[in-house]
Amino acid sequence: MVRAALGSLHDATFVEAGSGLRAIEVLGMEPVQMVVLDLNMPDMHGLDVIRFLRSHDRYRDLPVIVLTTRGDDTSRHAAIEAGASQYLTKPFAPSVLLSSVRELLDARVSRRR
Amino acid sequence: MSTSGQDRPFADGFMDDYFAEADEHMVAVRRSLMALESALGSTLPSAALEDLFRSFHSLKGISAMVELREAELLAHHMESCLRAVRQGTLTLTTANFEVLVDGVRMLEHVIASRRTSTPQPLVDEVVEKLDALGRSGVEAHRPAALTATDASNEPSQPGARARLLRVTFVPSPQLVERGVKVDTVRARLMQIGEVRNVTPTVLPGGGISFEFVVETSDASPLAQWKDDGLTYGPLDAAAAVELRGAEEADAATSQERRLTELTLTGSSNVVRVDLARLDELMRLVGEMVVTRSRLEDTLRRVEAHVPFQEWRALQDHSARLERNLRDLREGVMRVRLVPVGEIFRRMPFVVRDLARDNGKRVKLELTGHSTEIDKFLVERMMDPVLHIVRNAISHGIETPEQRIAAGKPADGIIRLGAATAGETVIIEIADDGRGIDIASVAQRARTLGLVVPDDGGLESRALLDIICASGFSTRDHADRVSGRGVGMAVVRDTVEGLGGILAVESKPGHGTTFRLTLPLTLAITDAIISHVGDQIFAVPQTAVREVVEVDENLLHAFERNELMPYRGGTLPMVRLSEMFSISAVKRPRYHAIVVGTGQTALGLIVDRIAGQREVVVKTITDPLIRVDGVSGATELGDGRVVLILDVAALSRARRQHARVITGVSA
Repeated sequence: MVRAALGSLHDATFVEAGSGLRAIEVLGMEPVQMVVLDLNMPDMHGLDVIRFLRSHDRYRDLPVIVLTTRGDDTSRHAAIEAGASQYLTKPFAPSVLLSSVRELLDARVSRRR
Repeated sequence: MSTSGQDRPFADGFMDDYFAEADEHMVAVRRSLMALESALGSTLPSAALEDLFRSFHSLKGISAMVELREAELLAHHMESCLRAVRQGTLTLTTANFEVLVDGVRMLEHVIASRRTSTPQPLVDEVVEKLDALGRSGVEAHRPAALTATDASNEPSQPGARARLLRVTFVPSPQLVERGVKVDTVRARLMQIGEVRNVTPTVLPGGGISFEFVVETSDASPLAQWKDDGLTYGPLDAAAAVELRGAEEADAATSQERRLTELTLTGSSNVVRVDLARLDELMRLVGEMVVTRSRLEDTLRRVEAHVPFQEWRALQDHSARLERNLRDLREGVMRVRLVPVGEIFRRMPFVVRDLARDNGKRVKLELTGHSTEIDKFLVERMMDPVLHIVRNAISHGIETPEQRIAAGKPADGIIRLGAATAGETVIIEIADDGRGIDIASVAQRARTLGLVVPDDGGLESRALLDIICASGFSTRDHADRVSGRGVGMAVVRDTVEGLGGILAVESKPGHGTTFRLTLPLTLAITDAIISHVGDQIFAVPQTAVREVVEVDENLLHAFERNELMPYRGGTLPMVRLSEMFSISAVKRPRYHAIVVGTGQTALGLIVDRIAGQREVVVKTITDPLIRVDGVSGATELGDGRVVLILDVAALSRARRQHARVITGVSA
């Protein structure tokens, strides 16, 4: 579903990871520019994944979009505090996700210049 | 059973603890038996032997405490057999190993009978066999028997005790290509012991490494994974504990030492709680959620009568209360979550037995044991999963000869996996067997009078409908495990009754995959509240994909179904007003709640969406007032009752409707 929503990003390649640990493993091996993360994962909580990323220079600026069904302020705060760049509540409109991704990618490119 | 009258109430108070502890030991027993069986004929793994011996010893002890004599007797004899094996006076063969397996099965039976207060089975025959087996070892080596008691008290080899290891895994693209990923490594480690902790680290060069802390009594498989990027060594802190433990161990019995170890590694932090207490707690939280939404409604009403400052403060408190309640609810929910591994733990044993009975060779691969799910659901999912696994072995996996003839490895593989996706848990049972024989299913369905498309082609959804139809079986006669044709119907009813979805995929010659998608928890959920005429409906948010606006003009009828263009395809629509015969004013525009995915996707047409709310689900269990499409009810803050829609049932109802139509037109 996430993939379908982002289908119109023509130049993008997607790597799927079924668990938090697997996501980190992929990050270690592939040049990933953006992470779309579900908070509820089997082995490692999504927030822990973000905290791990934010505590390392290499991944400090990596944009992370959190997708979750928990729409309350507490969860949102927890995610933003841990370092999420964007927080989207399910059900989300695919266009919202797409524009968030574009926005974050653009911001990253312009910062580099 | 001899029980002195006055001790009985004393023992009764312990029974829950006894069952819980006995269960833990039985799990360990099964694990050790499996390990031993695979090593029959070669050197037996001493760790498994030790563990098994200790488990029987403990079972004997606790069974004696609650005066469950049959269990005590069985455990005692199996302990004796194991002692003989440990001392080398008895050699385990395939034949006498079965005696042990029978003993374990009987022991389970005895404990289960006590739990359900049903009459105890007769254990004499099994005990006799065990006794003979234990004696055969001792008699063959009579001199050794003299030292039997001393030997059992000697400290075991150091390798046999559970140790904490630090295992480091450095992933690489090459390894991934070979299928070795961090998830694989984790699954492997969980096979040999317990994974206590995982920490990822960024390497100076930029790569990633993972450090697992594993508690295991048998580290030998680790060495063979060296080529897979694994290195390991003892955990420093634990090494110290281990050392100290060894010094003190001389005097202590192995039982006591084990207790110390458990305390040191932190397992004693676990509290066992009766599920009923948690249910009560969840119910209370539910009541509070309702009361708070009443408070909010009242607040809104009194807004005009209260000075703004005061009202503002009230509003603040109410908002804070909502947050606290949400945290509380989540906390309680988390307590109810248990690793889905509880279902998986019994599977290796079941698979082994069934494979042997059916003359098949089957390997079981487990992933995602630690995925968490509501305790209530775990208990109810046990039988459905068991049933599907049974089917996979008796119908799916071919005999070794057939497999080799088909160019497959002789060992069939059953993969049992669990993973969370959002607020749902997905359990997958996949086999690499022959797949479902579509032609024979269609044939059989016709003879039973079920509707089958004329071309004989069955897509997975229709296939599922048929194999789940009551009375359906492709077997002409029932065997012990499958073929009675009631199983899959029960499986689907159970899964859907719990608000889950059952799906099947099958490829001829390549195998079958069943997927069970279940909600994480049932009691309280976020829901989309919508109005239809004067009725209010709630749709659980986990089932909702999105909400779209519907233009009446875009709807078109097709064979008595209404369809709407949706994302380049079409989406079947259901008017809730028609479904529930609610008189509604015709409007030019409606809202539709899109639910389900793929084949089961459906748009529910409502008048308007009122918003999103946390609702407390009260299930409707009374069959007299049960209506298809409604799973329960809830109460809004103003006391109005709202029906909660059962999305799976609605989608099913529409599909059946659609099929009848095609059946008529064909």
